[in-house]
Amino acid sequence: MIAPAIQIDLSPPPIVKTLAQRLMIAGIALAIVAIAFAFWRPDEFYRGYLLAFMDWLGVALGSMAIIMIRHLTGGGWGVVIRRIQGAAMRTLPVLTVLFIPIIIAVAQGRVYPWAMPLSSITDDHIREHLTKHSFVKADYLNLHGFIIRAIIYFAIWNVLSFLLTKWSHEGDSPSAPDNTQRFKAVSGPGLTLYALTISFAAIDWVMSLDPTWISTIFGLIILIGELLSAICFAVFVESILYRYKPMSELLKPDFVHDHGKWMLTFTMVWAYFSFSQWLIIWAGNLPSEITFYLKRLNGGWGWIGLILALLGFAVPFAILLSRPFKRNIRKLVWLAIWILCIRWLDLLWIIEPNFSATLRITLADIVVTAAVGCLWLGFYFRNLASLPLLPAYDASASEVLEPTHG
Amino acid sequence: MKRDPIYGMMAEFDTAQGLLDAARKTYQSGYRKIDAYSPFPIEGLAEEIGFHHNRVPLVVLIGGIVGGCLGYWMQWWMSAVDYPLNIGGKPPHSWPAFIVITFEMTILFAGLSAVLGMLALNGLPMPYHPVFNVSRFAMASKDRFFLIVFSSDPKYNAQETRSFLETLQARSISEVPS
Repeated sequence: MIAPAIQIDLSPPPIVKTLAQRLMIAGIALAIVAIAFAFWRPDEFYRGYLLAFMDWLGVALGSMAIIMIRHLTGGGWGVVIRRIQGAAMRTLPVLTVLFIPIIIAVAQGRVYPWAMPLSSITDDHIREHLTKHSFVKADYLNLHGFIIRAIIYFAIWNVLSFLLTKWSHEGDSPSAPDNTQRFKAVSGPGLTLYALTISFAAIDWVMSLDPTWISTIFGLIILIGELLSAICFAVFVESILYRYKPMSELLKPDFVHDHGKWMLTFTMVWAYFSFSQWLIIWAGNLPSEITFYLKRLNGGWGWIGLILALLGFAVPFAILLSRPFKRNIRKLVWLAIWILCIRWLDLLWIIEPNFSATLRITLADIVVTAAVGCLWLGFYFRNLASLPLLPAYDASASEVLEPTHG
Repeated sequence: MKRDPIYGMMAEFDTAQGLLDAARKTYQSGYRKIDAYSPFPIEGLAEEIGFHHNRVPLVVLIGGIVGGCLGYWMQWWMSAVDYPLNIGGKPPHSWPAFIVITFEMTILFAGLSAVLGMLALNGLPMPYHPVFNVSRFAMASKDRFFLIVFSSDPKYNAQETRSFLETLQARSISEVPS
């Protein structure tokens, strides 16, 4: 057992509880509006719901992945945001429940073409494809398969989250055992499992919106987007906590610098994966693949693509090259919030052109994202308030609680 | 220009913390042209001697931009001007195909600029440096820590600087001939 070098109160500031209450109230109010949409315009509602769900699920899963990366690599940057990301990871049970509307959409034959009777598929290309390759629906893309696979994904994610949380919580008491090796033993296989499950989930939940289209890098694009969302969200929360004790004493410029570097890395990898997919499909120019981009570069959707390339990659990349910018939490947080908006736009650009040939962002897209978001944030801040901001007696805590040299 | 016969005043310390404290006090007492030498990198030492910015990042940025432009121009010239080929029916000037090489050239030039820029800004290679005139300075690569106040500092004065450095609990103090 290692005693903390500095004795400070690590409990979260009262603002966290206030935020939890207010966001929960806002979430419930918005949820009522969203449910009204579900009856008024069900198709638009479920499309928007899929977008919202993927957006907020990304923050939770990405946080879990970054926690596991830190368990394997170490580093003070990850210790200082461990509980910030841990609170996001612990929303996975809530997200599991929030998945039910997507199952309802499939059961009702909405959103996903493979869930509809062949005669009601409007896209000729998809209808012909599913008629010709009947095994697609018979063997894989059907309600039972969809539910069974979702249960497997959520089971794996919730077990990982449960174990990481349980051992992290042990670090709050002075009699804590050294869990470093346990964390490592779970994180290695855990990251592999995460990469596999999110790839399959991305195929099931997003790529299957167009069952004719194939891209082997698609799962990785979703994965890296989740990591990017998660680090930006952590920067957002740490900027709020930085105004109060104890985070104002714990968060050093070196840690913020590292978070900025992660933002730069994930932004670059996201651009790299997205560009790779585009380059390979553009070079091949095959009818079964290029349709994805024909839909997304025509009818006004191309403008969103341009915004993603310029304001999602080029501008954040150029700004994040600056060392003073990355070290300043008050500046970095604005870019983090901007990238979180870009994450939503990227998912919108992937999901929505399946339903509309021309650029169209429905009210449901925005309202449902806000409703799920406020509810999720309400649970998030409730989680954040429930544990100290650092496991003070964990072996890793000294990296943050002790001065660098003394 | 006539060279000052004295290069500076050098103080020797036993520990990294000793050097850090001495560097802070020397900077605080108004000396600006100072430098520190240690066998390994010491976090925060550069800040203590007032060294906040270096120009290597700028050199790397310029190198990267030059490399990227050169890479794109090279491909455009080869594919669209000098030897146009019909590849998959695509126009000779197809930007997506050029991005990968452009990126690689950016990294290559930025990397080379970092190495060469670092050497150039450090004035390397440097066959002669006055600090080696002090024989004890060889220990800077082993286990001793050195602080020097250059004679070009406006506040430099052989007696005063020596007596100031003596207050910092230095292990030894030597005048460095240039």
